[in-house]
Amino acid sequence: MADTIRVAGDTLPGADMNASLLEVDGLRVDFTVRRKRIPAVRGASFTLDQGTTLAIVGESGSGKSVTSQAIMGILDSPPGHITGGEVRLRGVDLLQQDEETKRTVRANHIAMVFQDALSALNPLWSVGFQIGELYRVHRGTSRKDAKQKAIELLDLVGIPDAKNRIGHYPHQFSGGMRQRVMIAMALALDPEVLIADEPTTALDVTVQAQIMRLLKKIQQERNMGLILITHDLGVVADVADDVAVMYAGEIVEQASIHDTFARPAHPYTKALLRAIPRVDTVGRELEVIRGLPPNPASLPSGCPFHPRCWAVEPKKCSSEVPPFEPVADDHRSRCHFAKEVYRDER
Amino acid sequence: MGRYVIRRILQGLLTLFIVLFLLHYLMALSVQIRGNPAILFFGGERTPPPAMLAQVERLYGLDNNCYERTGDPCLVPFVERLQNYASGDFGTTLNGNRNVGELLGIYIPNTLRLFIFATLTLVVVAMVLGTWAARHRGRFIDHSVRGTTILIDSVPVFLILLAYVYMAAVPLTRWARDIWGTESFMGQVFRPNYNPDYPWTTILVPGIIVGTVGLATLTRLVRASQLENLGSDFVRTARAKGLGKMRITIVHVVRNSMIPIVTGVGYLFAFMLSGAVLTEGIMGIPGMGRMIFQAVQRQETNLVVVGLTVSAVVVVLVSLIVDLLYAALDPRIRYE
Ligand SMILES: Nc1ncnc2c1ncn2[C@@H]1O[C@H](COP(=O)(O)OP(=O)(O)O)[C@@H](O)[C@H]1O
Ligand code: SF4
Ligand SMILES: [Mg+2]
Repeated sequence: MADTIRVAGDTLPGADMNASLLEVDGLRVDFTVRRKRIPAVRGASFTLDQGTTLAIVGESGSGKSVTSQAIMGILDSPPGHITGGEVRLRGVDLLQQDEETKRTVRANHIAMVFQDALSALNPLWSVGFQIGELYRVHRGTSRKDAKQKAIELLDLVGIPDAKNRIGHYPHQFSGGMRQRVMIAMALALDPEVLIADEPTTALDVTVQAQIMRLLKKIQQERNMGLILITHDLGVVADVADDVAVMYAGEIVEQASIHDTFARPAHPYTKALLRAIPRVDTVGRELEVIRGLPPNPASLPSGCPFHPRCWAVEPKKCSSEVPPFEPVADDHRSRCHFAKEVYRDER
Repeated sequence: MGRYVIRRILQGLLTLFIVLFLLHYLMALSVQIRGNPAILFFGGERTPPPAMLAQVERLYGLDNNCYERTGDPCLVPFVERLQNYASGDFGTTLNGNRNVGELLGIYIPNTLRLFIFATLTLVVVAMVLGTWAARHRGRFIDHSVRGTTILIDSVPVFLILLAYVYMAAVPLTRWARDIWGTESFMGQVFRPNYNPDYPWTTILVPGIIVGTVGLATLTRLVRASQLENLGSDFVRTARAKGLGKMRITIVHVVRNSMIPIVTGVGYLFAFMLSGAVLTEGIMGIPGMGRMIFQAVQRQETNLVVVGLTVSAVVVVLVSLIVDLLYAALDPRIRYE
């Protein structure tokens, strides 16, 4: 194929190995819908270090998928536009690269696992073809060698009888096995960053846990940076190192998983935690966060969470936008009363 | 896969059998109601001597008294007819007493040539224009493609043909002959009529013109199905895999869009059949369309039945090919 790219040593030109693996800094994404601009991501910032897992948690519509698509450079444009911010991979701002470099970065450096593997895989090609395609296009590998590598990958992600399964089509796999195929495909070119956008939402509970464990195992073995996107904090409790909580297109809290659970510093995070089913809540009614997520086309003034916040101070919260400030080392929150919430005084 | 193919073939044969029987029954009814076509053999005016009439009736398979009982399905002649067809015997024409089997040997290849050119034109042009329009959705190219194809499609085929034959063909042929000579490809391709010495060359231009039937419809179908696939999750995956635009279009969009397109072409085939009748008439191509038309004009019952049988076989065959293409394109059908 004419679009085979050869990468010199597979390294990104200008990369600084001392810089953080992935830094998202003030990312802004707008959608143009009927000539109106709708802000979907409004200055999201977070950092992912090598060998760690970052969970991005938030309700549906908070901008998690759009953020990951912007990082990957696969935003549907139009209607989506990145209007500001930086996405730095080892210090290199990916948003400033030419199309050719961006294409090399995808799959080679940052790969992605999507939510619904049935629709995310092409129904007309065998899984072996779709995995092998990466080697053939990016590395110029022969058909035969690419197939061999694809078999090894299927084996790695725990698909039994990989040799025979390689010629099968997506619809011939179960949901969990299909998601393993997606993971195998994402791992093909040995990326440093793996983004999994709700990888288990479409699966049933036992399979969910298996897939989560598989992702964690691979992340550790390969010393990758893993971003796990989810709307359910409970799902990532055992696998994440850090948590970024997203609300209305912003990160409202980032902390280690331990601090997030032990000492949340944002009222929204606290509400999310109370909504997780746990052994000690069995039989009791779970708390749900009252109200609906805000419509990005008409966000509330001041703190966008204020109409739903249990700790609100109406005057201040509806007029002043809270800053994103540290409450402790490596623990930041976007709330006027972050310190009080952190100390459990509010 | 094997079971799927066998099932489709059996379905096709059953359809064909039913169509042939209905055809036969209609013919029998027409003889029963309108009277004996063998009389036409004698000019249709005077009453022939009974002995000669009986002989002619035998010759044309009308020597069965079921033809005198209105409503009788005439099963015995039907079975005889099928046996004759199976052994390659299609009877003779009333007019000129020619062997119909031999005529088919000339007519079928000509119509086939016309259809090959027409189908290729239709598919290639619609695929290219539809893909192009989809990639430039909502922009100038998209609107121009739509406008042009609707314009071409809305002019009836026979008008394009007449305009070509009477306005373009003669000067073009004269110009090409002066440069390349009469016996060259260029010297023949623009001829306003069929030349039995150059069956492929002289059917090329009429084939292309027949291929404009349904062009707008198919182009829009291609455009719509490609747009649907361009916005699909697996194309997003392909982009996340760092594949280039060209490869995404060819490998991940075009093949997925082929399924509705195959349906569309199969459907447009029926329209092209009617285009073939006109084209063969205007361009003097001895083909099936012209044969059926003349057979109806001359009340050649047998010839009409043979012609319609052939077109029934073609339609059944095309839908079989469409079904097999589905299976080749889509593993979900192959392994149902
Ligand atoms: N294709 C699109 N067109 C218009 N708006 C979109 C589109 N995709 C996403 N958005 C907007 O972006 C917001 C965030 O979407 P998304 O990132 O998918 O949320 P989630 O956190 O559930 O993944 C949505 O509320 C919607 O307003
Ligand atoms: S700023 Fe006010 S409304 Fe917003 S989260 Fe903090 S307390 Fe709640
Ligand atoms: Mg999402």
